[in-house]
Amino acid sequence: MALISSLLALRKDARILKLPPYLSALCIVVGVAWLLVLPLNEYSRNTYVSENALLPGQVHTYFTGSEHNVFRAYRHEVHALVNSPVAERNQRLGDILRSHNLKVATQRYEYHASGRNISNENVYAVLQGPRADATEAIVLIAAWKNMLDQDNMSGVALLLTLARYFKRWSLWSKDIIFLISGDSTSGPQAWVDAYHNSHDPAHVEHLAIKSGALQGAVALDYPAGPWGHRFEKLHVVYDGVNGQLPNLDLFNTAVNIANGQMGIACTLQRMWKHDDSYQDRMQTVFRGMISQGLGHATGPHSSFIPYHVDALTLQTVGDGWHDEMSLGRTVESLFRSLNNLLEHLHQSFFFYLLMGEKRFVSIGTYLPSAMIIAASFTITAIALWVQSGRPSTPPPNPASTSPPAKPSNEKEKVPMTVVKSGSSTAIIPTPLLTTTERPLFLPLTFLTLTHFLSLLPLYLFNNLPSRLLTPTFHLSLLLTSFLPLLTAYALSTTSRPTPRETTLIHCFAAMFLGMFLSALATLNFSLSILIGVAAAPMNFIRAISPSSSSSEWTKGTRRAVSAAQVLLMAVLNPLLLVKGATVWYGVDIGDILVGAAEGWHVWGLWTQVVVWLVWWPAWVAGGVVAATGLFV
Amino acid sequence: MLSFRSLIFFHALVACVLGSSDYAERLLLRPLPQSALLASFNFRSNESFTSFEQQNFRYFPRSLAQILQHAGTKELHLRFSLGRWDAESWGERPHNGAREGGTGVELWAWLDAENEQEAFSRWLTLTNTLSGLFCASLNFIDATKTIRPVMSFQPEGDHPNLSQLHLLHGTLPHEVVCTENLTPFLKLLPCKGKAGISSLLDGHKLFDASWQTMSIDVRPVCEASGECILEMEQTVDMVLDIDRSKRPRDNPIPRPLPIEEIECDTSKGYNAADTCYPLHGSAEPDFSLSQLFGRPIKGACPLTDSDGENANTVCINTPPERTVHANTTGPYVESRLVADTLRCYKLPTGADFDLSLPSQQMTTGLMLQPPSLFAARHINGHGQERGSIQTTIRNPTSSAVDFIYLESLPWFMKPYIHTLRARVSNSLENPITETFYKPAVDRHRGTHLELRMLIPASSTLTLTYDFEKAILRYTEYPPDANRGFDAAPAVIRLVSPGSADRKGVYIRTTSLLLPLPTPDFSMPYNVIILTSTVMALGFGNIFNLLVRRIVGADEVPGAGTGGIRGVIKGKVERLRALLGGVKKNT
Repeated sequence: MALISSLLALRKDARILKLPPYLSALCIVVGVAWLLVLPLNEYSRNTYVSENALLPGQVHTYFTGSEHNVFRAYRHEVHALVNSPVAERNQRLGDILRSHNLKVATQRYEYHASGRNISNENVYAVLQGPRADATEAIVLIAAWKNMLDQDNMSGVALLLTLARYFKRWSLWSKDIIFLISGDSTSGPQAWVDAYHNSHDPAHVEHLAIKSGALQGAVALDYPAGPWGHRFEKLHVVYDGVNGQLPNLDLFNTAVNIANGQMGIACTLQRMWKHDDSYQDRMQTVFRGMISQGLGHATGPHSSFIPYHVDALTLQTVGDGWHDEMSLGRTVESLFRSLNNLLEHLHQSFFFYLLMGEKRFVSIGTYLPSAMIIAASFTITAIALWVQSGRPSTPPPNPASTSPPAKPSNEKEKVPMTVVKSGSSTAIIPTPLLTTTERPLFLPLTFLTLTHFLSLLPLYLFNNLPSRLLTPTFHLSLLLTSFLPLLTAYALSTTSRPTPRETTLIHCFAAMFLGMFLSALATLNFSLSILIGVAAAPMNFIRAISPSSSSSEWTKGTRRAVSAAQVLLMAVLNPLLLVKGATVWYGVDIGDILVGAAEGWHVWGLWTQVVVWLVWWPAWVAGGVVAATGLFV
Repeated sequence: MLSFRSLIFFHALVACVLGSSDYAERLLLRPLPQSALLASFNFRSNESFTSFEQQNFRYFPRSLAQILQHAGTKELHLRFSLGRWDAESWGERPHNGAREGGTGVELWAWLDAENEQEAFSRWLTLTNTLSGLFCASLNFIDATKTIRPVMSFQPEGDHPNLSQLHLLHGTLPHEVVCTENLTPFLKLLPCKGKAGISSLLDGHKLFDASWQTMSIDVRPVCEASGECILEMEQTVDMVLDIDRSKRPRDNPIPRPLPIEEIECDTSKGYNAADTCYPLHGSAEPDFSLSQLFGRPIKGACPLTDSDGENANTVCINTPPERTVHANTTGPYVESRLVADTLRCYKLPTGADFDLSLPSQQMTTGLMLQPPSLFAARHINGHGQERGSIQTTIRNPTSSAVDFIYLESLPWFMKPYIHTLRARVSNSLENPITETFYKPAVDRHRGTHLELRMLIPASSTLTLTYDFEKAILRYTEYPPDANRGFDAAPAVIRLVSPGSADRKGVYIRTTSLLLPLPTPDFSMPYNVIILTSTVMALGFGNIFNLLVRRIVGADEVPGAGTGGIRGVIKGKVERLRALLGGVKKNT
């Protein structure tokens, strides 16, 4: 009992409020350190194929011999179509597929995003599996243009050759759909939307032929010209839209077949050189997290993943000695494995971080880091809430049983009140008896307005024409940098927020951020941790007011500390960070914005919602809190 | 250019010819486009009612007859099907679709019973016994998979007491039809696959077909004089891919052909020794029965008629210019029918018979009769909560088609009938003229929906409705829960234009795979382990505390003495205490 009462007494202790910043800092340090130890052998695992039915690399592949002659001919055919109009191109591709006795159909699509008109046509063919009953299907994709806007000539030719070759086999237990999409991102999206009938008929045509439930999709990216190009490695691209990932079994099967059966080295996340050192593992994880956090489509496979269709892209890279037939045999073996599936891929992980083609960590191991970082905001929010309910002069150390260090003098004596209850009388410090009310109106109004204000940039960046995007971005960067200062100044002239109100603004902002980031961590870990780290200093800024700061601080010191805080927050401006990242990676900000707008309208991208409606308002609130110190 | 002769339809011919004698069989071969071949086997055995009732069977299989008698079954239709009929390439279905079923197993029967309960109990008897006879999971056709169709099926036989008969219908869309179903099927035949056309039926080839369906139909047929016979018709229809079936069994792998054997397009500018644009020969492929089926016909079944129409047991439907060689050591008779488009052969008895067709460049072709309707059904939407069904029915003909659409859905697929929409592409009129709907009852009954619809000439009808996916109890999931659940194909019966005979015209869509929300099955296991641990720890401790009396060591009498002496002493003490207690009480 004694323990409990002393603990209860601690609630009123002034020292208890000194603890949370250290706790938050500890959380952030542990969260980041957690991430940094993941590549170590003790914390990561070797990949393994979990689904027994896949049996990767257990079949002999026969895609050789005269198929190579046919492939070369088709590559010439495809090359001849490079500059043809879309309709003529698809007519010819459809004719070749029809000559294999497949059912062929085309699909037009037309999207409008940031003033651009994205229109093209998909052509696809269905191989009705001889042992299939039209309930399941797997997809082989070759986009006409790859992600770098090169003509995917060998990829399309390989698809045509494989269609001819696959048709002869009698063992297919699933239908195989051969899809040549007009481009790498919108085309597959239009197709897969229409396949599930969740498309807008105004922009996207219905599919004339459909098959069963899609079980997997593999995209080919091999932009070698009519005379071929031998490649060194396969780059396996696996990120889906909004950071969703395909089942790890599919990735493992692809790597297992390419590496183990065909002897083609695999690589991921553009790590062309990977010697399995700590640095390379960490860099792979980091690149994977950036890609996942951005949530953009990374290839033709990306659009399939939100529909729970596991998909990946095989991209050829480098100069080596592997030719198109090796890639064809890899696809053959991969399709034989997918054909073996009895159930939808479900055994292995859907949430993972890959640090090499054969090493990964699963969600159970990495999730705590994002959660701990998100928790730091919640801790701050609780601390600020408690602080906002405290009287402005807290009693010094009431639980202390040790005599005060320095003899009490008259100044520090606490005013006492005599309380009588019946026959008993007690003397209680007055501050303990005063009730402190939390003024909620201003903080809540302020935060609501900030969140509503953030709808404006969200709307603008998604709907402005592409030529206006870059100027608008720079203008917003300029405006938002000064927005907290201006807001704080405006507030200080009009209603002059009390320190308690400022604390509450800070409290609610941190609370909302902590809540959202911990929820987001389960959906898109990378985005959550990236925002969490970028917003971490919000835990440590405080509104500096004469009453809350140390009494020794002069006005000048207070101003200086506030200015430092404002500067810190200005550096952490989401827009400035995005700009900085584009400069660092040497990308044009305009391309990013155009891609984001296309993502919003075509792929259903949600990253900008998180940035504008969660991160940016929290940052504004933090900035205003820091800036109030300048105007007191 | 091919010039097309119209094809006089052949099933009607088969149907009216077979039947006069007690046992007849016929194989019809018809080359289809894209190097496919339709092989239609038809067997018919008759038994008079009097001998049937006296259990005196000649051609009618005793095993099946006794089941029918036991279960009070007056008319029976059983189907085993695999694959799908490609109506766009292959045209009208064989037998107008009346002798095929949806993917898996389909069974419907008219049962003689006083009331519905009795009919259902007889139905269960029938499904359970048939399950044993055909090695199929027919016993899984329970109340949830049984419906009582109202408009979709009409009896084919003559029933004097139709009002007493109950029609029940059940499907097993997930059932995989395989050789173990073929063997009992062949055993029902009088020649049991040893002679006659049934000697061609081999599981390896049958189940490698692109589409195949086996059916058994039993119906009573009454003459005007009142004399009745029980007729059993067994059919096997399959579409073989000629190239695939010709591959020898010891080397079935479609290896790439040597480049010399591929016909290249030499007109292409890039044509070279290592570059070849393959041409697809326009010649009809060569094949022979022994290549396609792995063996020749082992002579005629001696039970068939030796002369007359029924003696023509093997027929091939080709343009007259196509060369057909009959290879046999025995005597055979070839007759040409229907403007020479049909060649029929009377088989020799006791000698192998083989037909071979060489590869031939054709100048004429046979016109395939286009089907009256095309139907496709798909599940739309994604996610684990709800979805929608979309059925697209296309009428390519120049006359309106009146048809009945039957859906039998599993109970865990809950349709919202208020979302049922039927739209016709070029008209605003509601095509639904009649609706019969029996809603599902969880775990007891599936949904039964019958719609009568009218589709105008050359238009497309789209039928959609939304449904909700139920969450099952975890013991209700099958072992391959993540595959999804199969929903039975929809059955479409054409009312007008219908068929001249009583079989009707049917079209079936493909079955659907319905993904349901599936738990991670390691979770119940974890829960069981965790709760067991908690129970063991918590319960064990509390039980110990409740029943165990804790006493000091010095309070236990005789605790100080150890060894055997101590034990004996203890026993004696206890005995004495017991006796003492008894004495005190008395």
